Amino acid sequence: MFEFQFFVEVLVGGLLSGVMYSLVAIGFVLIYKTSGVLNFAQGAMLLFAALTFVSLVERGVPFWFAIGATLVVMVALGVAVERVVLRPLVNQSPMTLFMATLGLSYVIEGVAQLLWGTQVHGLDLGIDDVPFEVGGVLISQFDLFAAATAGALVAGFALFFRHTRTGLAFRAVADDQFAALAVGLRLSRVWAAVWTAAGTVALVAGLLWGARLGVQYSLSLVVLKALPVLMLGGFDSVAGAIVGGLLIGAIEKLAEIYVGPLFGGGIEAWAAYVVALTFLLLRPSGLFGHKLVERV
Amino acid sequence: MRVMATAGNEALIATRARATEAARQAGGAPAAADSARVADTGVPVLALQGISLSFGGVTALERIDLSVAKGEIRAIIGPNGAGKSSLLNVVSGLYRPDQGMVRLGSERFTHVPAVRLAALGVARTFQNLALFKGLRVLDNVVMGLVARRRSGFVRQILSTPLARREEIEACAAAEEAIAFLHLDAVKHQLAGGLPYGIQKRVELARALVARPQLLLLDEPFAGVTVGEKQELATHVRNARDAYGTTIVLIEHDIGIVMGLSDRVAVLDYGRKIADGVPAEVRSDQAVIDAYLGVAHEGETELVI
Amino acid sequence: MTTLARSAVSRGITPGRVGLVAMLIAAYGLVPFVGSDYVLDALLTPFLALALAALGLNLLTGYAGLVSLGSSAFLAVGAYAAFNCNVRLQELPLLASIVAAGLVAAAVGIVFGLPSLRLRGFYLAVSTLAAQFFVQWALTKFGWFSNNNPSGVIDAPALTLSGLTFSSAVGRYVVSLTVVVVATLLAARLLRSQVGRNFIALRDHEIAAKVIGVPLLRTKLLAFGVSSFLIGIAGVLWAFAYLRTVEPAGFNLDRSFEILFIIIIGGPASIRGAFLGAAFMVVLPLLLSRLGAALLGDVFDSGVLEMSQRIVIGALIAGILIAEPRGLISLVDRLADRIRHRLSRPLRNPTQP
Repeated sequence: MFEFQFFVEVLVGGLLSGVMYSLVAIGFVLIYKTSGVLNFAQGAMLLFAALTFVSLVERGVPFWFAIGATLVVMVALGVAVERVVLRPLVNQSPMTLFMATLGLSYVIEGVAQLLWGTQVHGLDLGIDDVPFEVGGVLISQFDLFAAATAGALVAGFALFFRHTRTGLAFRAVADDQFAALAVGLRLSRVWAAVWTAAGTVALVAGLLWGARLGVQYSLSLVVLKALPVLMLGGFDSVAGAIVGGLLIGAIEKLAEIYVGPLFGGGIEAWAAYVVALTFLLLRPSGLFGHKLVERV
Repeated sequence: MRVMATAGNEALIATRARATEAARQAGGAPAAADSARVADTGVPVLALQGISLSFGGVTALERIDLSVAKGEIRAIIGPNGAGKSSLLNVVSGLYRPDQGMVRLGSERFTHVPAVRLAALGVARTFQNLALFKGLRVLDNVVMGLVARRRSGFVRQILSTPLARREEIEACAAAEEAIAFLHLDAVKHQLAGGLPYGIQKRVELARALVARPQLLLLDEPFAGVTVGEKQELATHVRNARDAYGTTIVLIEHDIGIVMGLSDRVAVLDYGRKIADGVPAEVRSDQAVIDAYLGVAHEGETELVI
Repeated sequence: MTTLARSAVSRGITPGRVGLVAMLIAAYGLVPFVGSDYVLDALLTPFLALALAALGLNLLTGYAGLVSLGSSAFLAVGAYAAFNCNVRLQELPLLASIVAAGLVAAAVGIVFGLPSLRLRGFYLAVSTLAAQFFVQWALTKFGWFSNNNPSGVIDAPALTLSGLTFSSAVGRYVVSLTVVVVATLLAARLLRSQVGRNFIALRDHEIAAKVIGVPLLRTKLLAFGVSSFLIGIAGVLWAFAYLRTVEPAGFNLDRSFEILFIIIIGGPASIRGAFLGAAFMVVLPLLLSRLGAALLGDVFDSGVLEMSQRIVIGALIAGILIAEPRGLISLVDRLADRIRHRLSRPLRNPTQP
């Protein structure tokens, strides 16, 4: 039997978890837009951020101080990655860069767990996950909080990139790296800013996902949720990451409830990929992408 | 007659050019009748009729008519951004024109099927080299014959007589093309590691090995040294003389083109502003304006 | 001296071929008699299976330039297909099961390769993850694949070939070796043919390949098919000759990455690179555990070993991509060249005036 109220509940739950996907996807987009790198290590960075934060808190460091310290660590990590791995590969193909970040994700995951151990840490952000009712629909308070945080972060970035010089430089580099270089922009500064932003996203996403799943190795697998979002929304579109995340989140939950039982359940492992793939086969330029003319 | 044309009355020129073209196609006297090299003025190997192309509102080509006779070397020149490469990409099927028709031999297309290009007897080179860098020179040239292969992968693994014969024939043809372009010394080297000028010649060999009826050369002289330019020009002429290949070449350095081509068409801002034998085009006021006028700063390569 | 060498070359006897034959003689004539069960079971058999899988992926990724992140799905398809052939068609001889498993894997590979007709680059790479997750899910979910084992675990049958049983460590090694040698020779032959050239043309310049007349669609699907065929066969060896009990969870994303890493480390677009990379991947944990135990003693437990292994492999990937994108095989070749140069100099000198 089809119950509308239940449907809305599932839909809202899906959209809210979709926000979490968007959050991870945005980390990818920031780096992809400016340097053309699909940074697979984004998931490992997320794990690293969450583990560092939790371990600091567990050792008695105050909450906000731990946030600040983790942020510093993440920025240092990002800048180091850019210097040590990506810069020497600057003229290589995008695929080579991608594989390098794949290796990088192994290194970061390994180091994170060597440093902080492999046990599962609980992470309490101080938000009760008590569902409350809006117009007869039950909504998770935590999901709402996560969505609000993600929304605030995106709005913050939007303001930053629109109204600051670094933001302007970022957009110039994203548009045309060589032209940006030619007019005298310091790419290294832009990239440092980008990796700082990506580190911040990793921290926020790591905390939110960590609070939900527990801080452990599998946290880095969150990237696998973000990849279909990127396929759908395009690797270079922040708007695409947001809308794609919402779509994937909603479709995934709805499919799990309404289609999953037909296959015996568990389809969320691949449903998002099939959705993104089907969509791309029908519309190869993606959600917001524009078809590029191949110059020969 | 087109000498008095100025940039102001391009429309008139275009109309006139179309009229000339139409008259010629209707069996009238060819515009290049004084060129001794034009071997055959019957059915054109390539004919474009009213080709228009735009990218998101920017016009790249506007109602282009062009006719290429069998056995001639036909140059298309024009400043940067005039639409030369777009034109070649329309002919080779990489772009689909908004309007117009492309005639290749006896077939007419609104969109040339790029996958059938080789089968239609057309080969091309690319502006920014399109060699297969990871293959040896010999294998690159053998690739030029891929459209002739009949044996599938099972036969190739099993090395059936057909597969073996095809391989032997392809290698022999490639060896010949390599000798023709004096590439013997490098034939076992990877194409990606060779100097630019030699890579250009390898690409020419790869295009020539199938003995195409029509060969499209996209800026064959760009980026090569002066000495190499002369050598390449000789190779292009030899290819036509030896194999009877019809050649369409794009160039923005008009100097080298004048000595090499039988007829020259000039594009500017997507329109054809002149078409004729080199001497005619050289003294055409519209051409001079297009190359030296204020509209194209920094384009002073025209050597008259 | 030189004329002798030259006439040898003209008869098709090159140093490479001599080396290959020598290695084959050693692999068949020496290793089975001197190798301990441990060496055969824990090192050589997995090495052979991984090398074949890497060769399969190399065809697709190294030669044809189509990146796949889902290779272990095809290992799984091969393993489960062979298992089902064995259970359901009991008259089918082992060799036929192996080939059938390869064909099933090829068919599945072609289906998951269909997006390559429209997608490129990262979009295609990410889409191959669909194969990874779908196959793992299907094998766990549907009991039919594992003959109704609740967790999808399958037990390999004894390897029997025309009445002979090869269930000892030596037997399983010899079967693996034979399958890998035959598959590798066929793959080498394919790569030397026009199809092999088409793969590289597709990778190096797709537009030029299209204009020249390479049948792009067919070539891409063929690359997916042949690659999955080889990986599928490798999956049979992995399940039947090496582990003998496998579950779907064993064919996870990490395994896919491992195979990808093998070709990056060994050398993309190189058959020998796939073997070298696989050897490295098998030996590395051993080296690390010996080294770690010697340096750190008891602190170096299995958890620390696993982490340090991840770090070393990850760092190595990044390092190789930066320093030698053509992989370890390129270093080996350069080293061999230098040695040959040094050896030939004293021989050649007297003949020169």
